[in-house]
Amino acid sequence: MKRYLIKRLLLLVPVLFGITFLSFAMMYLAGSDAVLQQMDATGLALSREALNAQRASLGLDKPFLVQYVTWLGRFLTGDMGTSYVSGEEVFSVFLSKLPATLELAAVSMILTLLISLPLGILAAVRQNKWSDYLIRFASFTGNSLPNFFVALVLMYLLSIRVPLFPVIADGTGWKSVVLPSLTLAVAMSAKYLRQIRAAVLEELGKDYVTGARARGIRFSVTLWKSVLRSCLVPILTLMTLSAGSLLGGTAIVESIFLWDGVGKMAVDAISMRDYPVIQAYVVWMALIYVLVNLVMDVLYQVLDPRIRLGGEKA
Amino acid sequence: MRTQKKRKLLCFAGLALLLLAVALLAEQLSPYDPNQQNYEMALQAPSMAHPFGTDRYGRDMLSRVLAGARISIFSALAVVLASSVLGTGVGILCGYAGKVLDTVLMRIADVCLAFPGLVFALAIAALLNGGTISAVIALTAVSWPKYARLSRGQTLAVRQEDYIAAARLSGDSTLQILVRHVLPGIGSQILVTAMLDVGTMMMELAALSFLGLGARPPAAEWGSMMSGGRSMLQTRPWVVLTPGIGIFVTVAVFNLLGDALRDYLE
Amino acid sequence: MKRKKTKNRGSGLAFLLAVVLAATAISGCGRETQTETDLSESGKTFVFGDTTFNAENGEADINPHNGNGGWACIRYGVGETLFRFSDSMETEPWLAESWENLDELTWQITLREGISFTSGRALDAEAVKECLEDLVENHVRAAGDLQIAEIMAEGRTLTIRTETPVPALTGFLADPYACIFDVEAGVSEEGIVQGTGPYRAVSLTTDQELRLVKNENYWNGEPKLDGITIRTISDGDTLTMALQSGEIDGAYGVPYASYPLFENENYTFSGCATSRVFFGAMNFKSGITSDPAVRQAIAMGIDKEGFVETLLGGNGYVAAGAFPDSFSFGGGAVRAASYDPEGAREVLEEAGWRDTDGDGVREKDGTPLVLRWLTYPSRQELPLLAEAAQATLEDIGFQMEINSTADHNRIRADETAWDIYVSAMVTAPTGDPEYFFKYHCLDSSSSNDGQYHSDRLEELAGELAQTFDTDRRAELAVEMQQVILDDNAYVFCSHLRMNMITKSTVTGLTAHPCDYYEITAELDMEG
Repeated sequence: MKRYLIKRLLLLVPVLFGITFLSFAMMYLAGSDAVLQQMDATGLALSREALNAQRASLGLDKPFLVQYVTWLGRFLTGDMGTSYVSGEEVFSVFLSKLPATLELAAVSMILTLLISLPLGILAAVRQNKWSDYLIRFASFTGNSLPNFFVALVLMYLLSIRVPLFPVIADGTGWKSVVLPSLTLAVAMSAKYLRQIRAAVLEELGKDYVTGARARGIRFSVTLWKSVLRSCLVPILTLMTLSAGSLLGGTAIVESIFLWDGVGKMAVDAISMRDYPVIQAYVVWMALIYVLVNLVMDVLYQVLDPRIRLGGEKA
Repeated sequence: MRTQKKRKLLCFAGLALLLLAVALLAEQLSPYDPNQQNYEMALQAPSMAHPFGTDRYGRDMLSRVLAGARISIFSALAVVLASSVLGTGVGILCGYAGKVLDTVLMRIADVCLAFPGLVFALAIAALLNGGTISAVIALTAVSWPKYARLSRGQTLAVRQEDYIAAARLSGDSTLQILVRHVLPGIGSQILVTAMLDVGTMMMELAALSFLGLGARPPAAEWGSMMSGGRSMLQTRPWVVLTPGIGIFVTVAVFNLLGDALRDYLE
Repeated sequence: MKRKKTKNRGSGLAFLLAVVLAATAISGCGRETQTETDLSESGKTFVFGDTTFNAENGEADINPHNGNGGWACIRYGVGETLFRFSDSMETEPWLAESWENLDELTWQITLREGISFTSGRALDAEAVKECLEDLVENHVRAAGDLQIAEIMAEGRTLTIRTETPVPALTGFLADPYACIFDVEAGVSEEGIVQGTGPYRAVSLTTDQELRLVKNENYWNGEPKLDGITIRTISDGDTLTMALQSGEIDGAYGVPYASYPLFENENYTFSGCATSRVFFGAMNFKSGITSDPAVRQAIAMGIDKEGFVETLLGGNGYVAAGAFPDSFSFGGGAVRAASYDPEGAREVLEEAGWRDTDGDGVREKDGTPLVLRWLTYPSRQELPLLAEAAQATLEDIGFQMEINSTADHNRIRADETAWDIYVSAMVTAPTGDPEYFFKYHCLDSSSSNDGQYHSDRLEELAGELAQTFDTDRRAELAVEMQQVILDDNAYVFCSHLRMNMITKSTVTGLTAHPCDYYEITAELDMEG
C-alpha cells in the first residue's frame, strides 16, 4: 500500500513537468505580454523605451526557454515568484484565494447531493409517472443552461425579485455562499440525478426486489439500504470528477459573484499574461488531478474489493 | 419490451435527424438574412414579422437562431467526433499494445486531462486567429483523454476474451484484430458516452464564448448570442432566451437519444 | 550533479505537499472575515461599485507611483494634485495657490497654506519635492513627461527646473500620477498612502475593496460622509444587480443595455464626454489602405451616428477629430468626412475599384477589396463598432474580415497582418493635445504601427513642442488634426460617454470630462 502510494505520488513529477512546460509554451504562443495587456486595459500609450524597460524588469525580453528554466529553477527551490501585474507574492496570493474555492466546492457538493439524491430516487421509484417526467425535464433544463445564465437568473430571482441573498458574495456570512453554490449545483444535480435514477432503477429491477414488491412488501429498511448502496459507486465517481473541476475553481461563477477564488485568479492572470500566477494555478491543477485520481482508486477498492489497486478491473 | 425500446430509439434518432436537417437547411428556412442590420428595427419585441424579435443591430433573431443551429450543433458534434475518434484510437492502442507506448501515451493523456482547458483555448485562439475552429480544437485537446481511458479499460477487458485469442490463432494481423474484433466490442459504450457528451460540449462552447473565445462576428452562435445579450436579460429578454431555447432543445434531444441508445444496447 | 537534481526535485514535492497542508489548515479555520476597521458602521457610509478598480487596469492599489494607482487615489478622494482640470479641461491651481514661469525651463509654484496630509504632516514645498522625486524615480511615464532636472523647496515655494522646455508641465502635474502624498509616512503594505483629500484610506484588498473614512481636517470644506467603501465589481451585470438590490449606492461601468432599468426617479445619472476615443488607424504599408481613395471610402462608409445612437443607445458622442467638445481644440473645430455611402461608392469607382465579377466585392487589378479590421474585445464597444462597420462597408463593396483578439498588440506590429486597427485610447490624459500626436501619429511614435508619415505634421509637432502659449497650442492642435483627417490616416468614430449611476438619495457625485474626479467633499447621501 505504502509503495503504491509513493508510486502514485511520483506520477506527479512527469505530469508537473509536462504541464508547466506546456502552459509556458502555450502562453508564449498566445502572444502579447503583461506589459502590453496592461496598456490596453488603461488605454494609455507608453513609449518604446518605457515598454522595453518594463519588459526587461520582468525578464520578458529573454528567450522563451530561458524564461521557463528560470521559473523552474525558482520553483524547485520553493519560490513561486511575484505577480507581474500586482507585484504581490504569488504563493501568498494563491493561498489567500484557496479557502474561498474550497468552501464553494464543499458547499456546492453538499447542495448537489441534497438535491439530486432524493429527487433521483423519487424519479426511479415513480418511473414513468408524472413526477418522474417532471424531474427529468428539470434535469434536462439544468443540463442545458450555460452557468453564466443560471447565475444571472438566480441573482435576478433571489436577490432582486425576492431579496433573500446578496448579489455580492464576498464570503462574509453564510448567505453569500448560497447563490454561487446553487448555480454550480444546478448543472451538477442535473447530471447526478440521471445517474442516481439509473442506478436505483437497476437495483429495483433485481429479482429479490421485484419479488419483495410482488409479495406486497413495500419499502423496508433493508431495501432502502441496498438502494442507497447501489447509488454509492456512481455518486463517488461523479464526486471525484466534480471535485477535480470544482477545486480548479469555477472561473465564470467566481467572477460573476465576485467570489474571490483561484478560478477567477486564473482567468484574470491568463487575460493579463501574468505567467507566475498562471504557473501556480497550473501546478495546483496537476496536484489536484493526481490526488483526485488516487483518492478515487483507493475508494473503489474499499467499496469493491474485486478491483485491484494499481490495475484495471481484474 | 425490446420493440418498445427500439421505437423509443427510433423516435429520438428521428428528432436528432430533424435537428440536423434544420441546421443544414437554416438558410432556406430563415425568413431574413441573419446578418442584415437595420437600426430602425433594433430591439423589437417578438411580433408576427419577427417571431423571436430583433437584436440590437436590428437583425431578425429567428433567422439568427436558425443560422446559429448550424454553427453550434456542428461544432459540438465536431468536438465529440474528433475527441472520440482520437481518444478511442489511442485507448485501443494503449490497451492492446501495452508497455512503453501505453505509458508514454497515458502520461500525455494525464497532462492533457490535468491541463486547464482555458489556457489551451486561449493559446489556440491566438494561433488560429480565434473563431469557432479554435474553440473546437481546444476542447478536443482536453476531452480526448476521457475516451482514451474509457476505451483503454474496455480494451484490456476485451483482450482477455476467447474470441480474440481465436482470431490471433487464425493468423489475423494486429490491425485486423483491433478493427474487426476489439472496436465492435467497445463501440457501444463509446457511442453512448459520445451522445451524452454533445450537450456537455455545447455548454463548454458557451462558456468559452462568455470568456470571449467563441465565434467571430457576425457569425451567429448560440453561446455567444446568449453571452453577448446577457445584459439584456431584464430589459430585452428575448435576445438571451431565444438562443437558450435552441441550446435546450439540442441538449435534451441528444441526451434522450443517448439514454435510449443505452437502454437499447443493454 | 545527479544527486543535486534529485534533491531539488524532492524539495519541490515537499513544497507541493506544504501547499496542500497549509491550504487545509487555513480552510479548517474557516474563511477570514473582512478585516474590520475603525470605521463605525453606525455612521453614514456610501458604497460605490466600480468595474475599473483592479490590478488589470494597473490599479492594484492607490499608490500613485505604482502603475495607474494614481487614478484610484484621485478618484476616490484620497489624493490631490498641485493642479487640476476645470470643466473645460484647462489647468488651474489646486494644492498650488499660484504659479509663474521664470523662464522656459523654470517654474515657480506657490503652495496653498494650511493644508496637511492625513498623516498629520503639514504640506510644504519640501514634502512636495520628496513626493515628486519619488515619482520620477518610480513611475514609468512620469520621468519622460516631466523632464525634471532639479527641484528646490523653500517654505511654501517650490521651484522646478526642467531639462527641456515642457510647455504642458502644469497638465502633467495634474495627471493622477502626480497626486501628492506624504512620502515620509510611506506606503503601507496594502498600498495605502496618506494624501490631502477629503477621505483617508484605512484598508485595501486588491481587486476587492477599499475602505475610506472622513478626513476630519480636510482643508476645503467638511466631508459629509463618515465612511466610503469602494468595491471592485468587474462584471457589468453583477454591478447592475448590486445597484438594483441596493447593496451599492452608486456605480461606475454599468453596461448600456442595463440603463433602462435605472431611468426612473429612484436613480440619478451623471455623465459627460471623456477624451477616450474609438478610432481606426490605417495601415500605410497595406496594399489596400495605402490607396487614398480606399481610406476616404472607409471614412465615408462608417455610420458613426447610427453606431452611437442605436448600438450605444445614445451613450457616446460622434467624433470628428481626436478630442471631444469639452476641449477648445476638440469637437467641431475640425472637419471630418460624414457618412455618405453613395459618395464612397463613387470614390471607389473613380479610383478603379469595380465589382467586375458580380460577387458584391470590388476589385482592382485582380486584388479584391478585402479589409482586415483588427480590434480587441476587452472594451465592450469595440466589437459592436466592428460589426456595425462591417455591415455598412460591405454595402459599398468591401469585404470585411474582423479579427477581434486580445493578441492585437502583437498582430499590429506586423504590417502585413492588418489594414485598419481600431482601438479605444485616451487622447488627452493631461488635457493637452501634444500627448495624442506624440504617441500615435509621428515617425517617432511607439503606437504608429501603420507607419503614417506626413511632413507637415512633423513640422507642426516640432512647433507644438516649443509653444507655451495655450491659444497657439490649441490652434496647432486643430491644424494637426485636420492634417491627419485630410490624409484619412485615422477615422475617429466616437467619444466615450462616462456615466455614473447613483441612487437618487445620493448628491454631489458628478462626472468630470477628464474622468479623474469622482469622490469629493460634496458627496452626500440622505438617510
